[in-house]
Amino acid sequence: MPTLDHPPGTSRRHLLRAGLALAGAALTPAQVWAQLAQAGGAPAPLPARMRQLLERVCDLTIPDTATPGAVKAGVPDFIALALQHGLARTGRPPPADQFSGGAAPAGAGWLDWLGFELDLKAGGNFLAAKPAAQTKALSDLDAAAYAKGGEKSPWRTWKGLIVTGYYTSEIGGSQELFFELVPGRFDPDIPVGPNDRAWSNDWTAVDFG
Amino acid sequence: MNTDFDAIVVGSGITGGWAAKELTERGLKVLMVERGRHIEHGTDYVTEMKAPWEMPFRGEGDPQLFEKDFAVQSKNRHFTEYTQNHFVNDRENPYSVADGTQFNWWRSYQLGGRSLTWGRQSYRMSDHDFGANKKDGHGVDWPIRYADLKPWYDHVEKFIGVSGQNEGLSSLPDGIYQPPMALNVLEKHAKGVIEAQWPDRRLTIGRTANLTQEKEGRGVCQNRMLCPRGCSYGAYFSTQSSTLPAAQATGNLTLITDTVVETVDYDAKAKRARGVSVLNVKTGERRRYTARIIFMNAGAFNTNHVLLRSRSEAFPNGLGNSSGRLGTHIMDHASTVGAIALFDTFQDRTSYGNRPTGVIIPRFRNLADQPETDFVRGYSFQGGALRSTWTRGKREAGIGEAFKNNLRHVGPWRMVLVSFAESLPRESNRLRLDPVKVDQFGAPLLQIDFTHGENERKALTDASKEASAMLTAAGGKVILSLNQPGIGGSAIHEMGGAMMGHDPRISVTNRWNQLHDVPNVFVTDGAAMASSACQNPSLTYMALTARACDNAVTMLKQGRI
Repeated sequence: MPTLDHPPGTSRRHLLRAGLALAGAALTPAQVWAQLAQAGGAPAPLPARMRQLLERVCDLTIPDTATPGAVKAGVPDFIALALQHGLARTGRPPPADQFSGGAAPAGAGWLDWLGFELDLKAGGNFLAAKPAAQTKALSDLDAAAYAKGGEKSPWRTWKGLIVTGYYTSEIGGSQELFFELVPGRFDPDIPVGPNDRAWSNDWTAVDFG
Repeated sequence: MNTDFDAIVVGSGITGGWAAKELTERGLKVLMVERGRHIEHGTDYVTEMKAPWEMPFRGEGDPQLFEKDFAVQSKNRHFTEYTQNHFVNDRENPYSVADGTQFNWWRSYQLGGRSLTWGRQSYRMSDHDFGANKKDGHGVDWPIRYADLKPWYDHVEKFIGVSGQNEGLSSLPDGIYQPPMALNVLEKHAKGVIEAQWPDRRLTIGRTANLTQEKEGRGVCQNRMLCPRGCSYGAYFSTQSSTLPAAQATGNLTLITDTVVETVDYDAKAKRARGVSVLNVKTGERRRYTARIIFMNAGAFNTNHVLLRSRSEAFPNGLGNSSGRLGTHIMDHASTVGAIALFDTFQDRTSYGNRPTGVIIPRFRNLADQPETDFVRGYSFQGGALRSTWTRGKREAGIGEAFKNNLRHVGPWRMVLVSFAESLPRESNRLRLDPVKVDQFGAPLLQIDFTHGENERKALTDASKEASAMLTAAGGKVILSLNQPGIGGSAIHEMGGAMMGHDPRISVTNRWNQLHDVPNVFVTDGAAMASSACQNPSLTYMALTARACDNAVTMLKQGRI
């Protein structure tokens, strides 16, 4: 999996190719292609600052409580994969008019937007700000996105990815919430209290809820 | 391999499986030809028991792959990372649409066809439906009525297993059902309010081909609602769980997969079909099979496609097309979200388990002799009530511990009613062979020319108002109500093109589902439909197939075909 130790450009695919070159004829072409295909499924490592930003935002959105939060659940890895493949319509960059000031830096992507907006909200380097200032910056961004007029905010896409990544992870789906693949019965009317956990694979609710 | 059979069944989906079962059980040697791959019951349901975190994209799927290979299929709500292997590759299997039109054609090319992915809702058509064309003049009068099909609905329901509730409604005939699944607390409440305020309306549990009692080696539904992934319990009706093992048990079935029927071959001297020409899509090998009778069960539009491709001197515009009406009068229910409402009641109650069906409100419009609305025929609702879950977090403000703790618990109740309006049979809605585009094997593509009409729009407008009124009366706050249909094909109930009728000059098949022109060819899938009604059609296709098989064997024995 990608880590902060991997500098940009040293993707698993690149390393694999380098290794294969050193190995010479030790592998058959079929084995080479099989390994390349396997490597293709892993997300390319993000630049260190981007990775740090992603982890911090995930942590602020769904932190550790009595159960592990988004970072320990592997949400940043899921999002790296999601961005690489364009999940949740992230295959296109955020609209230019969604950058505060209305001018998108050339080639700016989804992480650029996030960093740009959070730096603005934090009044400087978001990642260097104190935790309380980071929380306030992200809270402000979130509040604006869900206020009237914020419908097109890229933060809504970000929030969707974080929420999906967390509650479809084993930690989020089966520790924070309750998961049962084979219920074996349907109880049409049972009591539910304020402390009862929701059920992560209530598929109708997942689709329509 | 033997190439001569008593019967050839083209397709292995819902009706192909039924034709194979009924014909083999009557002693015929049957060849069933499936264009897609073999899928073994149980062992080939590879994603059946996967949790989201065991899937590379958590069940969401790879958008790059979807765009490349599943551009149409991926628009279907039932198409996910778990089910993508049960839908067709659009890139490899193109079709075209007429200029200015759109049609989402959702397909499953595999052993079992769409019986693996269908919605399992199983309803009878009534005499309101079989008499509709004659009554208002749209389309061609059905050559049968409910009494003709009733024994075959009985036969089919008993075999496949349908759970549901008899209600004594004229618009939705009762059937032979396993015990119904239960309404949840909000649905029960809504039922009471709606039926008290509108005595002509009924809210009842969906009639679904999921077992609530074991039968013939098939287990009861485990309330997983993972049906389109395949069910190794055999708890819902599919070819694999039900009709295929029955046909194979006779020892009379030969099954070939990865083989597409290119044409039905016509013997002009004998004035009958002699067999089919096929192409193995893996090896490219072509060969012919012969038989005394041929059942077309390729799925409504593909059955049309094969017949349109089967051109000869005698039938230059397609086999059985002396009327010129082959491919015309295609239909698909006009559907949309009638209403969604939020409720602040019953907050201390919930349900447990994934019930694989919703509720229905059967048709209540225009059942009297005189129309009561500005549109003809009617619509029905399907939907249900649920407590929202973690996905609401995408729409709600908040971050941090409070946000996480809020999503830890169930959200408010909401109830959804989806409208399904009858699709009128119109000659202008039609299929044809694309004049230019061909597939990878050189065959002309099927071109779909379909638009919903004004009657459907008026019906959905009325449905929107009524759905909102009913949910409001039940105490809900309506947050969404739509009255325009989705793109054609969205209901996945495409049908027609080889409609049944009395008159060979204006219809394609007769009351026994035989081509008027070629009596040893039977069309018993959705292609034969003369009208759409407003309920899910698959049960009717099955009943028509069983009825036609029984009659075909009788005629064969009597030397009449």
